[in-house]
Amino acid sequence: MSLVARSVTKAFGGITAVNSVSFEIAAGELVGLVGPNGSGKTTLLNILGGQLTPDSGAVTLDGKRIEGLAPERIAHHGLLRMFQHTRIFPRISALDNLLVAGRALGLGPQAALRKAEQLLDELRLREVMELDGANLSGGQQKLLEFGTCFMVPPHIALLDEPFAGVHVTMKQIMADVIRRRHAAGQTFLIVSHDMPVILELCPRSICMNAGSVIADEDTRSVLSDPRVMEAYLGGATV
Amino acid sequence: MQHFHHRIALEFTLVLGVLAVVACLPVVITNPYWLGVIIVSMYFALLASGWNLLAGYTGQFSLAPACFAMIGAYTTGLLAHYFSAPPWFGIAAAMVVAGGVGSLLGRIVLRLRGPYLALTTLSFAEVIRVVIGNSYNVTRGDLGLNVPGIFDSRLAYYFLFLAVLVLVQIALFALLKARVGLYLQAIRDDEVAAASRGVNVVFWKTAAFTISAAVSGLAGALYGHFSQLVSPELGLIFQTGLVISMVVIGGIGSLVGPVVGALLVYIASEWLRDVGGYHLIVFALLVILFSRFFREGLWGLVRRALAPARAPLPAATVKRGWL
Amino acid sequence: MLILDLIVNGVIMGLFYALMAIGLSLIFGILKVINFAHGEFYMVGAYAYTLIALRLGVPVWLALPAALAAGAAIGWLTERSLMQPLYRGYTSWGFMRDEYAVVVTFALSLFLINLVDKVVGPYPHRGPELIAIPRMAIGPIMISGHRLLAAGLALAAVIGVMLFLRYSAWGKQIQAVAQNRFGASLAGIDTGKASAVVFAVSGALAALAGGLLAPLINATPDVGSFPAIKSYVIVVLGGMGSVPGSIIASLLLGVLEGFGAVYISYDYRDAYGLVILILVLLLRPQGLFGERAREV
Repeated sequence: MSLVARSVTKAFGGITAVNSVSFEIAAGELVGLVGPNGSGKTTLLNILGGQLTPDSGAVTLDGKRIEGLAPERIAHHGLLRMFQHTRIFPRISALDNLLVAGRALGLGPQAALRKAEQLLDELRLREVMELDGANLSGGQQKLLEFGTCFMVPPHIALLDEPFAGVHVTMKQIMADVIRRRHAAGQTFLIVSHDMPVILELCPRSICMNAGSVIADEDTRSVLSDPRVMEAYLGGATV
Repeated sequence: MQHFHHRIALEFTLVLGVLAVVACLPVVITNPYWLGVIIVSMYFALLASGWNLLAGYTGQFSLAPACFAMIGAYTTGLLAHYFSAPPWFGIAAAMVVAGGVGSLLGRIVLRLRGPYLALTTLSFAEVIRVVIGNSYNVTRGDLGLNVPGIFDSRLAYYFLFLAVLVLVQIALFALLKARVGLYLQAIRDDEVAAASRGVNVVFWKTAAFTISAAVSGLAGALYGHFSQLVSPELGLIFQTGLVISMVVIGGIGSLVGPVVGALLVYIASEWLRDVGGYHLIVFALLVILFSRFFREGLWGLVRRALAPARAPLPAATVKRGWL
Repeated sequence: MLILDLIVNGVIMGLFYALMAIGLSLIFGILKVINFAHGEFYMVGAYAYTLIALRLGVPVWLALPAALAAGAAIGWLTERSLMQPLYRGYTSWGFMRDEYAVVVTFALSLFLINLVDKVVGPYPHRGPELIAIPRMAIGPIMISGHRLLAAGLALAAVIGVMLFLRYSAWGKQIQAVAQNRFGASLAGIDTGKASAVVFAVSGALAALAGGLLAPLINATPDVGSFPAIKSYVIVVLGGMGSVPGSIIASLLLGVLEGFGAVYISYDYRDAYGLVILILVLLLRPQGLFGERAREV
């Protein structure tokens, strides 16, 4: 499977948030998406996830055009995403949160329950599984949202700042899950500002700045690319 | 689903218990006036249950439930009046027509939230009420339309309403226990997240509107045949206000709240009417107090008293929380 | 000449509508909620004016300001007792703050209507006119003295509020809070007080409308429902939170209703506004001048 973006563009008023972005992510890749604030990463993710429709350009998942489709259709096509500001269902239990994701994507009641319990164990959320989403800590909520992406393993998981504001132990849990699943063939696109983690997890990275892709190669090269440094630090570098 | 399953199974058992008590009441209450009061309270219990599905479980605070009751009542009334249709047909048609209009409203307000949703549903309801009220040639306007009754004995109506109420509770329980219940609540909690997890938000929102409207239409049709007169007053915003208040007092978002709320509030208000006529004031005040301080309503209070160990964290420690 | 008559009367009605709509718009601007008890502020104004003038024998020139004060008091009380949860961070309704506002203002409306019904009685009351000139000619138009005077007062109030919002310290604070509550509080503005002031002003304006129209309507406890619904239409049409928008929409609605009643159908005149409302909400939810509706 592959996720292909071709010349995706989106402007709001006078600002071009995403400027003719193109890239290709093959099955099994673990790709990082980096770039300073305002570079268009989240807008790009919103376009990929269906929350926004691009002004022009195409997004293909496994050969199927998905740009402009409703988010639920894109989810059924196998693209699941996390949000920058954690989105879980606050008034139902953690367990029910997972069950929604599972049932909506086709699992039967028994299978969904089994899978959910498995994930709860994996994410160390067992003890809080009966608590309403609102009563979980911020980090637990992020883990829970993370878990909802894996009830039915997606073709590609888009994670938007999964490590932001999360306790070190939970970061570890998430990183472990990502590594394990990647080893089993899961494709990831991870947006993050946490450079050490990106360096550790992602063999390849794409860097955006002011709406355009300015680097797309192995992570080490991206992070030492002068254009990338200029984008983050601003101003000329020698 | 364990947590929600247990809770909803418990609530369902309680509702059946309450309705079992209602079933036994005619043994002690033989006064036809009071039987009538309980019948009307069951009418409201139906409306409340339907609205609760839409607002409490799906998060769509529509201000149109009374309008759908009115549509249901007029459907069966007009069919009986002009085509001599038998009541069972009229009632079935009422559900279909009300449900159809409900799904139309649902499509209209798909993208609206909060005050915009409230205003649009309010206007929709008012427009329909004004149209029905002014179509004197067809509906006899404010004079009301005479509708044939079904039974001769009030007791028979009593058990008809009760039976329908029980059936509706069973249907709601089955619906909410299944994945539908999860989807609706997910939509209520966070539409965007729900969609991104694969829930067909458009379909289920519209479905919630349709089912809620159909239940209201059913209630209205039954009421029409009971009171044998339907008028646009059925669709007054005031009636919607009553329904909302009953649900809030009973406990919104639970299976048992609407039924208990409707029965208690309506019967109590009729009893208070005997005493001094302050019933609506007291009643409105109760709603204000409950919504201001305790949105879980009576059912929430009961739950809190019976199972403190399972109570969620107190407000002070939960910043964005709800009690 | 009929057309001119319709326009003038439409504009006059529009001015009265504007008094209601401005208040509602301000409340929406600052708290992002619709006050479903707004019609009852109007009703309180009508009753206060009528009862103070007739039962207490107070001259109309004092009764009117008294009605205004009553409206302001009710508005202020409403905000202090019921609206704080919306911005204090914690509400027992958590994420459903809009729904809380709907339920609580609805209940307040019910409460006020029935309170007045019980305390004063359900019978209609007619307020005294401000000036006892039944008919006078202004150019080609015939108009009653009271109506003319009332329209003048309404216009003065509308202009007064606009000036207040734009130039006074309180007015600027209110605008700041409406634009960004959190930012305003960081800048040291007492957002709670600002909300209270807004509610008081809205209550006063609605009460003024009630008082001015008291001689023309037969005030019953539920007399506020119709004006309330009209205000909702206007506020949406003009753009929720936009005061100038509300004013223009009010005048438009007043004139449109007048023409519609004569040329289309008198019976359905109340429905026009509602249909417009639905269309606007669907096609251009930000109205003519308002901010974009909160979506995702």
